[in-house]
Amino acid sequence: MELWQQLLTGFATAATPINLMWAFVGCFIGTAVGVLPGIGPALTVAMLLPITANVPVTASMIMFAGIYYGAMYGGSTTSILLNTPGETGSMVTAMEGNLMAKHGRAGAALATAAIGSFVAGSVATVLVTLFSPFIADWALRLGPPEYFALMLLAFTTVSAVLGSSLLRGMTALFVGLAIGLIGIDQISGTSRYTLGVPELVDGIEVVLVAVGLFAVGEALYLALYEGRVVESRNAMSSLRMNRRDWRRSWPAWLRGTALGFPFGTIPAGGTEIPTFLSYSLERRMARGEDRAEFGRLGAIEGVAGPEAANNASVTAAMVPLLTLGIPTSNTTAILLSAFQNYGIQPGPTLFQTSAALVWALIASLYIGNVMLLVLNLPLVGLWVKLLKIPKPMLYAGILIFATVGVYGMRQSAFDLVLLYAIGLLGVLMRRFDFPTAPVIVGMILGPMAEAQLRNAISIGEGRWSVLIERPLSAGVLALCVLLLVAPPVLRRMAARRAAPASA
Amino acid sequence: MSARRSQTLIGGGTVLLALLLAAGASQIHGEAGYAGVGPAFLPWLVSAALAVCGVLLMIASLRPGDGVHPERPPQDVPASEPAATDWSSMAWVSAGLLLNAALISRLGFVLSCALLFALAARGFRRSMGQPAGLRMLVRDALIGLALSAPVYWLFTKGLGLTLPGLTKTGWL
Repeated sequence: MELWQQLLTGFATAATPINLMWAFVGCFIGTAVGVLPGIGPALTVAMLLPITANVPVTASMIMFAGIYYGAMYGGSTTSILLNTPGETGSMVTAMEGNLMAKHGRAGAALATAAIGSFVAGSVATVLVTLFSPFIADWALRLGPPEYFALMLLAFTTVSAVLGSSLLRGMTALFVGLAIGLIGIDQISGTSRYTLGVPELVDGIEVVLVAVGLFAVGEALYLALYEGRVVESRNAMSSLRMNRRDWRRSWPAWLRGTALGFPFGTIPAGGTEIPTFLSYSLERRMARGEDRAEFGRLGAIEGVAGPEAANNASVTAAMVPLLTLGIPTSNTTAILLSAFQNYGIQPGPTLFQTSAALVWALIASLYIGNVMLLVLNLPLVGLWVKLLKIPKPMLYAGILIFATVGVYGMRQSAFDLVLLYAIGLLGVLMRRFDFPTAPVIVGMILGPMAEAQLRNAISIGEGRWSVLIERPLSAGVLALCVLLLVAPPVLRRMAARRAAPASA
Repeated sequence: MSARRSQTLIGGGTVLLALLLAAGASQIHGEAGYAGVGPAFLPWLVSAALAVCGVLLMIASLRPGDGVHPERPPQDVPASEPAATDWSSMAWVSAGLLLNAALISRLGFVLSCALLFALAARGFRRSMGQPAGLRMLVRDALIGLALSAPVYWLFTKGLGLTLPGLTKTGWL
């Protein structure tokens, strides 16, 4: 009962007119950036981080959460109409959704995506409400060895499981860790890699790296390589879903939610795996005529399931962020640094020290979901118009906002030069297919993991074995090793099995 | 330059970065404390790991078969080289960004960002094969002004952010 009491208090905070306004602004901006190619939620929140200096914490977190959610809703619009998924999580939606749009069913695809996102988001929010306090209670018992192990797990999954190749993910992760090293060491106060530059003593802000990699890198890449790529756009159609669409959609929504939520909660976030799993599940479960539509006319289950999985795992990613303080994606990493800007460290104690904030945030997730459903379906025509902004204007405009975000932090022209340098790094990474998420996660979690490791070793009085003496940290470390070793071994076994078959 | 050659260079660059980090790590002095886990521990670990990654990237690029993806055949990424490298377009965008960095504290946010907008838009237009004459440049500069001025007002007056102005009026 205490839970409902707190949730109701949260609603009371989140539903004040001013906070509703922030939620609306967040949902609106989020949907817009989700629709627009080239900008995602991580970048948008990063560019808006300087407002944390003047806006109260509850208001800005409500807005950031709205942006995070809204981008997921908006992303499906782009992938269905343009076949250029804005976020990795909408890649699967683009496959069947774009086929449906090509056959004149864009409206039904958009409708099932939006309603599916609403269903999945709402169910997942209920689960977040029910589970987070318990996980936070449990997490209070974790010590530095366990935290260090969990952070290693986050490193492993972000770089090894999500990217296209283990080696590339690891390289990106260590580049991120290296960037995180710059500045004053938290524990000993020694300066590292500052090269005598005063701006580097404070370290490089995560905002700068995120904006550099995503906005400036993307803009330079567009100028350098992609200018001549021509996109085709599908026509809109009626948003109504017929009875057969409904019958096929709702089980897919529920299955997608069930798949997506668990993946979001473990520190192995990311939406690629659950969306792909949901797609293959729907394809396997479809029968007869429905099945024949997959890959040809576009099957509605193939949009409904993955969209639900996407939204459920995005919502569930709030659980490790709020209860453990461990981000599992670019956007949650930036949200974490937003909390840190207020001097708040997300983690198990958050539910005690900042209960009002946490519950207002959770309540705003419910409100945001309803707002997004209302914003998305009737206004889809407006969002589609956004795609008409000429690319040169769009990207040049993004660079102005990038300047606001980076220069607004500490009024330093040095930061703008650094921003350009990070942009060049982004171009290189994009060109040679290195994932960017490990850089951001490594940069944020690196110093935290280092501190936990040093505390853990101190607790163990200098013995490294402390990391494997405690069952939980030993188990998590074993899981990390398994994640690193199992995929190549399995691949080799599969190759060996395939070899005689083809011979 | 072939895809494989540039892959090898990327691996080499990673090794070079690792060496630079190691050189920096050797400069860090501090109490090692328990079991040698002092401020220099992670820098050494990171540079060693990056060196290993770099060498592996080089080996992968030299292995026959695939140039782009060392472990997996290319799937979602174009395996071939992108059509052409458009250095001159990139130079326009770069000029916009670097001039903005150099001028923002002198010209103020609004004018400096309008210049950034005009130069960057010119770069994007060129890369897309659109006309990018002097008239377009002036038009883009005006659009940039019409965008950066409200952004400036919104963030400084509405959200209390500090951004540099040319004058003390708070409007430009």
